[in-house]
Amino acid sequence: MMTSIRPRLRKPAWNALAGLLFAVAWLVRGGPLWWVSILAVIATAVRAISLYRMGAADTDEGALAGSRADERQRQLSLRSRSLACNLAAVASFVGLTAAIAVNAPWWWPFLVILAVIGFGYLLGLSTYGVAEEGQADDAGIP
Amino acid sequence: MQNRVREQRVGRGLSQAELAAALSVSRQTVISIESGRYLPSLPLAFSIARFFGLTVDTMFDPDEEAGT
Repeated sequence: MMTSIRPRLRKPAWNALAGLLFAVAWLVRGGPLWWVSILAVIATAVRAISLYRMGAADTDEGALAGSRADERQRQLSLRSRSLACNLAAVASFVGLTAAIAVNAPWWWPFLVILAVIGFGYLLGLSTYGVAEEGQADDAGIP
Repeated sequence: MQNRVREQRVGRGLSQAELAAALSVSRQTVISIESGRYLPSLPLAFSIARFFGLTVDTMFDPDEEAGT
């Protein structure tokens, strides 16, 4: 699917899809706050257009937004996402601890986030090949 | 790690953008490599060396700090 979308359109398209799903969720929810879905659609359109425009810029951010990053820019993105994930884990842990301390009923979403982060880490280790190196060639040679 | 990318590029009268296009990387990456802030992967290091007709260990000197 990814190859059928022009690189510069990929990020805006995913962004638009996520925003539309969010808007539909507000519509399905109904009630007096249904109009939030309209705000969500507007914000999504603005974000998608700005991402598309940024994708043409001759900058690292532009290369990432336009899905044409080279190895250094991909590494930048990877390290930034790693930092974001670490911050999310710390924030979730703080939230979980605070919720437990005040005996609040909203502790479990923090636990779910922590569990997802932990599962993602293990999935990453498994997917990207930890322990695939096998036995040493010279095993058994004195 | 010291490298001779800038020296070789300037010696051949190339701009950073032209070198970047030849190596299929961004201009920002060429700037980072030249300043020693980014160490290229082995495939990219070979591409750079081949582009200038040199060997990798001629282009990149692990014994010298960048900017010295």
